[in-house]
Amino acid sequence: MTAHAATEHHGPPPAHQSSRVDARVLGMFLFIASEIMLFGSFFTALFFVRVVKAPPEWPPAGFHLPILVAGINTAILVTSSFTVHWALTSIKRGSRRGLQAGLVLTFLMGLTFLITQMIEYARIGFAPHDNAFATTFFCLTGLHGAHVFVGLTLLGMATVRAFRGHYSADHHHGVEIPGIYWHFVDVMWIVVYATVYIL
Amino acid sequence: MTRRSVLQLIVIGAVAGALATVVALALPWLPHVASKEGERIDFVFWFVTWICIAVFAIVAAVLGTALLSFRVPLDDDQDGPPIHGHTKLEIWWTAIPAVLVTAISIVSAVVLAENGKATANPIRVNVYAQQFAWTFQYPGYKNVSLPNLYLEKGRSVELTLRSRDVIHSFWVPQFRQKQDLLPDQDTKLIITPTLTGEFPVICTELCGLGHAVMRTRAIVMTPDGFASYMTKATKPQKLSGLAIFAAQGCGSCHTLSAAKSSGVTGPDLDYLAAYAKRAGKPLDAFVRESILAPGAYIEPGCANTMPPNFKELIQPKQLDALVAYLVKNGTKTTAHKGCG
Amino acid sequence: MTAVTEAHPGAAHGAGPRGWGHLRSPGFVRALWMTPLFGAIGLGLVLFFRWLGHYDPLWKWETITTVAFLTMMPLGFLAGIGSFDYWASYAIGRPTPEHEDHSSHGAKSWRDYFRVNTDHKVIGVQYVVTTFFFFVIGGLMAMLMRAELAQPGTQYLNPQAFNDVVSAHAGLMIFLFIIPSFAGLANFVVPLMLGAPDMAFPRLNALSYWLLPIAGVTFLAGFFAPGGFGCGWTNYPPCSTSAPWGNIFFSMGVQWAGASSIMTALNFLVTIITMRAPGMTFWRMPLLVWANFTTSMLVVVATPFIAGSQFFVMFDRVMHTHFFDPSHGGYVLGYQHIFWFYSHPAVYIMMLPGFGIMSEVIAVNARKPVFGYRLMALSLLAILVLGFSVWAHHMFVAGMAPWLRVPMMVTSMIIAVPTGIKIFSWLATMWAGRIRLTTSFLFACGFISMFVLGGLSGIYLASVPIDIQASDTYFIVAHIHYVLFGGSVFTIFAGIYFWFPKMTGRMYDERLGRLHFWLTFIGFNATFFPMHLIGLDGMPRRVADYAPRFADFNLFISLASFLLGASTLVFFYNMIKSWRSGPPAPANPWRALTLEWLVSSPPPIFNFDAIPQVVGGPYEYGVPGARHAVLESETMHAVEPEEVEKSE
Ligand code: HEA
Ligand code: HEA
Ligand code: HEC
Ligand code: CUA
Ligand SMILES: [Cu+2]
Repeated sequence: MTAHAATEHHGPPPAHQSSRVDARVLGMFLFIASEIMLFGSFFTALFFVRVVKAPPEWPPAGFHLPILVAGINTAILVTSSFTVHWALTSIKRGSRRGLQAGLVLTFLMGLTFLITQMIEYARIGFAPHDNAFATTFFCLTGLHGAHVFVGLTLLGMATVRAFRGHYSADHHHGVEIPGIYWHFVDVMWIVVYATVYIL
Repeated sequence: MTRRSVLQLIVIGAVAGALATVVALALPWLPHVASKEGERIDFVFWFVTWICIAVFAIVAAVLGTALLSFRVPLDDDQDGPPIHGHTKLEIWWTAIPAVLVTAISIVSAVVLAENGKATANPIRVNVYAQQFAWTFQYPGYKNVSLPNLYLEKGRSVELTLRSRDVIHSFWVPQFRQKQDLLPDQDTKLIITPTLTGEFPVICTELCGLGHAVMRTRAIVMTPDGFASYMTKATKPQKLSGLAIFAAQGCGSCHTLSAAKSSGVTGPDLDYLAAYAKRAGKPLDAFVRESILAPGAYIEPGCANTMPPNFKELIQPKQLDALVAYLVKNGTKTTAHKGCG
Repeated sequence: MTAVTEAHPGAAHGAGPRGWGHLRSPGFVRALWMTPLFGAIGLGLVLFFRWLGHYDPLWKWETITTVAFLTMMPLGFLAGIGSFDYWASYAIGRPTPEHEDHSSHGAKSWRDYFRVNTDHKVIGVQYVVTTFFFFVIGGLMAMLMRAELAQPGTQYLNPQAFNDVVSAHAGLMIFLFIIPSFAGLANFVVPLMLGAPDMAFPRLNALSYWLLPIAGVTFLAGFFAPGGFGCGWTNYPPCSTSAPWGNIFFSMGVQWAGASSIMTALNFLVTIITMRAPGMTFWRMPLLVWANFTTSMLVVVATPFIAGSQFFVMFDRVMHTHFFDPSHGGYVLGYQHIFWFYSHPAVYIMMLPGFGIMSEVIAVNARKPVFGYRLMALSLLAILVLGFSVWAHHMFVAGMAPWLRVPMMVTSMIIAVPTGIKIFSWLATMWAGRIRLTTSFLFACGFISMFVLGGLSGIYLASVPIDIQASDTYFIVAHIHYVLFGGSVFTIFAGIYFWFPKMTGRMYDERLGRLHFWLTFIGFNATFFPMHLIGLDGMPRRVADYAPRFADFNLFISLASFLLGASTLVFFYNMIKSWRSGPPAPANPWRALTLEWLVSSPPPIFNFDAIPQVVGGPYEYGVPGARHAVLESETMHAVEPEEVEKSE
């Protein structure tokens, strides 16, 4: 491109790509880093009311968590991580069917998780304002639920676009990036499940 | 580096150091120290001060010399020498500050450990803070509760501090000791007074609207004086409205001539009778209600800022005495503006 | 995130909307109806859920305010002005152009500064102007405080109003002045310095900016809510959880400002990592870029903690949870740990970008390479790492676990070492240079002397025994202003003077600049130096009323602070006048080497016609013939292609 041509085009010159990492993928990873810290602050709050304050029993008498149901829910969410991966590998191979099926499955499983969680809230028999145990339970799972919701929104966009004919074997960042976020949401759930329900 | 600039460096450094030393010595930086702990803290303070004066003098010297020696007109178009660094120099200015701060840390840690030790047979006092009053309870003296902190010269006091509502902080500048009071756990502090006299107790943690006026006194006495004061204080006493008024810190917000208080946050209680009339209630019911449920009637012009927790803090008998006391002394009937 | 690439060129652009079209096309008119609409949706949601959960007063102002006014309405405003348009059409599956049409990029008239603009240069200017607006408001609040404190007793502000003003002063200064104005300067400069055409995510960049006015309005609106927010900028519970509900305005303001910070930081990081010009290795980046790189890492990692702390306070207030309520198993000190785990790093967020500005200003004006460039960059990283290990030095007297005191003291002390490296390296950079005493350099000297004083008072505070005496007194207030005003604000002034020609295309008046400096320097010291003394002597902070024996000092401080305030008028006069009618600025008035000076002042709309080639370090002053970078037009002629290849 000569200097003369440069003055004529109406956009910026293409930026130099100084890293092998794609900007959008990197951005998502950094965003996840800050999300992990947000969860970190919630876990810190849990740590204070549980370990530092050291109440005699945890959970307090009369408070029970449905570990089994939540465990099944965990399994559902973990499976959805595989289906979203399947969707991605499909489009990388150029298979739109696989992409669509994978995304729809993932979306449905995520939705199932979220609905189960809401039913759990309704039936659990205590409320966030009962005591610090209930507070941390609702806030940690609630924070995670909010993230599932965001993940579902992103996946929803990808699904809509997948059915509208976007994405190809070469262009699939729009699936990959929500996928990364979805994996994060899953892994985070395992941590939340382990600390809130089991430990 | 020319000889002239080195000379300049030394002169400016000396002047800056001397100036800083004068500022450090001539101004009364710290109030008169009145405790053993305070003496040790002052030692750290001066130790750090000397180091800081040295650091400041060096920085000032280099900065001043650079500005005096190396300044050129704005339109000068030459460059300086392309010096990119100097490893040895860089090692020195990493190592020396590291050594200095280590020294400060060690001295501070030793003093901190020393200040955690009390003399034999300390007085124990439970300190309670509430919006916006202090209570000092002496378990070794029949649990008597006093509005001021009474201490004995030369004998340590072990304070166990607890807040009854939000966070407060106990500070006596002359003792150099400060500690927050929390609502959910005890904190501890040790003070060994070395001077007799009266010192202010100041709340330093923002605790609400009366924060600025949340003060009382620490009174250090000779051993004999302390002993005789405590014998007097522990004798069963008639419930005194004045004592309760003082202990609950009402005076920090209210003026009441009989109690020699001059607070201005709340209405002047000399005029209680006038307020009661304005509110259309019998005086003693009005006073009682105003203390137990301050929000029930708000004096025009005032904010609803009187602490609502006196109903938990004042026992019924005390309340009777307090109300009687206020009814007796708040008799002025001329119309009076409540606040402001 | 951004576009996924498909065919189809962008929508038509050019002719603006007409008549009723204003209602539908992005802009303030659309915001005018979208904001209340979103507010109404929020209100509906609250009422629906409260009805569903059988909550008793269906209409609870605090909850409604939090959700409808402070969350949904800002979102409605953002949607209205068009921050989300692109993402919304992406979400519903509309095709997005490969390269967008750039219709929202750049400024041709002043109007373009009042809309969602994706040009990092426009955003940079938007940031700086907005933050100075909040600086004036925060400063006027300080003037109000000083007027009140001029005499003991209460004169102009009752305790409630005083507490509100103190908290709002600090909140505005920290969250809406210092932090974003650094972000603004960096926004303008960093892409240019990197040889990039823009930031990595221009639309995210625009969104980050527009969150700021929202945060600011939220803070200011707090004054009209019952109780204001009178618990200091630290907002400790139980004060914050038991205060009247004006307090949520602080929490929400912090959330918006924090979100803005995080997004900008993420954007910087991605830009710096992926968009450096060819030849720009990490060790060839200007130190300003290094400084923003480290700061952004701090922001991304630390800011979620203050978000968390304010969430907990809001939950405790709105949902009646018990994070900090001891009677139900909550832990009061937990807040302070979480808050300071952000807010200590935050003080470096407010200082490191200033360090970066200093390195540029000092090297360019002293005409020498930055002394010990690599150690300068590494010491930034050292401060970053150490900064996470010192938070409890704000809690020495708070009643935390006693064993934490000494370790936290030691780490706090050690921070003096990398900071000292920076100070000494700047001094060595000046030494034997050819110093041109421009206004920006004057501010740099002011910065070095004042920041050293502030840092040294930090050393006093880091020593636990001294902190026990000094904590929560005016000594702290003195420390705060020495590091934040003498440190951060001086660097901001230096940066503004330094890049003013680049940002506006005009030169400022040096004489007024110098006058501004000396008035500020004198006013500043006269205001804040005596505070050390009255603090140690027994004057606590955050009081509207004080013991009469401090009256003389306080009167003096107040008078000096009015001088300090007035000095700012000189600055504003200089800036406004020069912007309108200053002499045109050449491309490189300071003869600097870094990339932003190779393009015209102000830079062309897309920064570079072609991405430049970096061939050397950024500070090779005094090295004969040294270049930092060459533009493409030159590479054709001046530099042989092979050479370029080699230098990469
Ligand atoms: C720009 C912001 C900024 C910066 C950079 C700093 C820097 C430092 N601060 Fe400061 N600090 C604040 C902003 C800042 N602070 C604020 C806002 C508060 C109050 C919050 C509130 O409660 O409202 C506070 C409070 C605060 C406290 C709590 C006090 C209390 O509430 O009880 C402490 C305690 O340790 C402290 C320490 C330090 C230290 C050790 C440094 C160090 O980083 C300083 C290092 C620098 C130097 C030391 C100078 C240069 C070095 C040399 C020339 C080398 C040689 C030096 C030696 C050998 C000593 N600060
Ligand atoms: C972040 C930076 C920052 C900045 C720049 C400032 C700037 C100033 N600050 Fe502030 N301050 C803080 C951060 C900052 N402050 C923090 C974090 C606290 C702690 C809060 C807490 O305890 O929670 C604090 C607290 C604080 C206090 C203690 C309050 C208390 O504890 O009771 C005081 C008291 O004097 C004060 C004063 C000032 C003054 C006089 C200025 C001046 O420098 C302001 C000068 C600027 C202007 C005046 C505006 C522009 C000028 C004009 C428009 C000209 C016209 C005006 C006149 C001539 C009157 N500040
Ligand atoms: C934080 C400051 C504060 C403290 C401490 C305080 N008050 Fe008050 N008080 C007020 C304010 C403000 C009002 C006016 C608002 C109202 O009527 O409730 C008030 C009102 C009153 C009134 C009613 C006067 C009227 O006209 O309404 C009485 C009686 C009273 N206080 C007594 C006391 C007593 C007794 C104590 C101590 C046990 C006390 N107060 C402690 C601030 C305080
Ligand atoms: Cu109690 Cu301030
Ligand atoms: Cu700190």
